Amino acid sequence: MMNTISRFDGFGLGLRRTHYADFLDGDVPVDFVEVISENFMVDGGNPLRVLTQVREKLPVILHGVSMSIGSAHGLDCEYLRRLRALAERIEPLWVSDHLCWTRTSAHNSHDLLPMPYTEEALRLVCDNIDHAQEALGRAMLFENPSSYLTFPEDEMREWEFVAEMAKRSGCYLLLDVNNIYVSAHNHGFDASECLRALPHDRVRQIHLAGHTDGEIKIDTHDQPVCGGVWDLYREAVALAGPVATMIERDDGIPPLPELLDELDVARSIAAGTRSKVAA
Amino acid sequence: MTLAASQKDFMAQVLDEDHALPDGWSARHAAGLAIYRNNYRTSLVEALRSTYERTASYVCEEAFRQAAVHHLITHPPKSWTLDRAGDGFPDTLRELFKSDPEVAELGWLEAAMQRAFVAADAAPLDAAGFAGATALFTEDDWSAMQLAFLPGTALAPVEHDIPALWRAVDPDGESPSQADRLDAPMHLLVWREGLKPVFRLIDRSEGEAMAALLGGTSYGDACAMLVDRLGEEAAIAQAGAMLGRWLHDGLIESVSSPAARG
Ligand SMILES: [Fe+2]
Repeated sequence: MMNTISRFDGFGLGLRRTHYADFLDGDVPVDFVEVISENFMVDGGNPLRVLTQVREKLPVILHGVSMSIGSAHGLDCEYLRRLRALAERIEPLWVSDHLCWTRTSAHNSHDLLPMPYTEEALRLVCDNIDHAQEALGRAMLFENPSSYLTFPEDEMREWEFVAEMAKRSGCYLLLDVNNIYVSAHNHGFDASECLRALPHDRVRQIHLAGHTDGEIKIDTHDQPVCGGVWDLYREAVALAGPVATMIERDDGIPPLPELLDELDVARSIAAGTRSKVAA
Repeated sequence: MTLAASQKDFMAQVLDEDHALPDGWSARHAAGLAIYRNNYRTSLVEALRSTYERTASYVCEEAFRQAAVHHLITHPPKSWTLDRAGDGFPDTLRELFKSDPEVAELGWLEAAMQRAFVAADAAPLDAAGFAGATALFTEDDWSAMQLAFLPGTALAPVEHDIPALWRAVDPDGESPSQADRLDAPMHLLVWREGLKPVFRLIDRSEGEAMAALLGGTSYGDACAMLVDRLGEEAAIAQAGAMLGRWLHDGLIESVSSPAARG
């Protein structure tokens, strides 16, 4: 049985290159930082030095984009070996990746490609999660992705798939509220219904981000969190209880104070929701 | 269709817009797919642009984008790391910019700097360390000596003043329209000083000796190459000077000799 992951109640940001100096030189008022694992799965040099120094100040979450947990071609053992080495060095709060696939045996798209929600896919994902958790020696979190199409062969809804995945594999969930918002729009389902149907006791982290509007909304992480996503966050916090919340901004990255202001919005929503739940 | 087959087909759709849609797919599916294809292309062109920012500025935006897209079609990425998406890109540049060979030389330098930036950490041997390591060397040991260079050390032949071009190109702005040809071909050497990748030009005899040593040739055989090129007396002087420079610059991680005992 994989080890359990305790709840961590806090608010954090992604550690991005433009803000390295802020984090190294000062005390940034966050409870943790999240990094893209692959950027630090290197042999040496400055990126690892920066991360090691930031880790001395703050808890770190390793968030990956290339595990390809939904890959029908299995997992890349060299990738898992490097990720384990990084995790042993950094001792993160946890290691996460996305419910998606990125590679075949021949090619890598470096994009989070969508899964069909079928029993065949569910079995495969659970086998791959077993393999990954075994190889890393720890339980992981998996994130619901934004998607731009659904498959004609789908046999269940996304939330049914995710719930069953967590139940069978023992993995935890990274709830990306923006991704629910984007996918709900793109596929015409009800975001709140999706939120309510997920297994809240498995959620350990919430992602907030901005997206690009259009007939099909796109998960671009290049603008502030929108009103509809804040509303959904309020519901998510009420359901999931105290978990780590973080804002993802990967493009058009503003000065740190702007992101800290946005994080304060999350703090006050969470505080308001919890006092209401308590009352 | 099994999941493996449908993922293979989906990947083909992402890589190639002319690939036929699977049976039963609608215009809505095609619109979704177009977003994945565009994400793939944009993020990979971006990744190449960030590694090859000076090359992009030098050849201009549109020409670079076309070269990057061409490279992605001929060399679709295989590795999990985006750092390797640019593998072979200098060769693509050599092929596409045949009449401007400095483009590929500049591209090679950017790729080598990027690799050195994240190469394994290692402490260089200083002169005292070198003296200690070779103190008990016999004549045979010297001749069989192998030099291990610091991780990230790389070397390529060049015909243009690429260091000057590197300094003249502004990744975010103006760039010169051409590069100066060197009087004679040289080698461009890249290594890491502490955390910082650096480079300099070295002359051809030093470059060839170092390339041989990097490839595992013994010090004795590298010196023999120098003798062929420079004659005995000049070769001995060059070999001593080279070794001194490499130690001074912190290029050598360790020395060993298969002939050395105990
Ligand atoms: Fe996310």
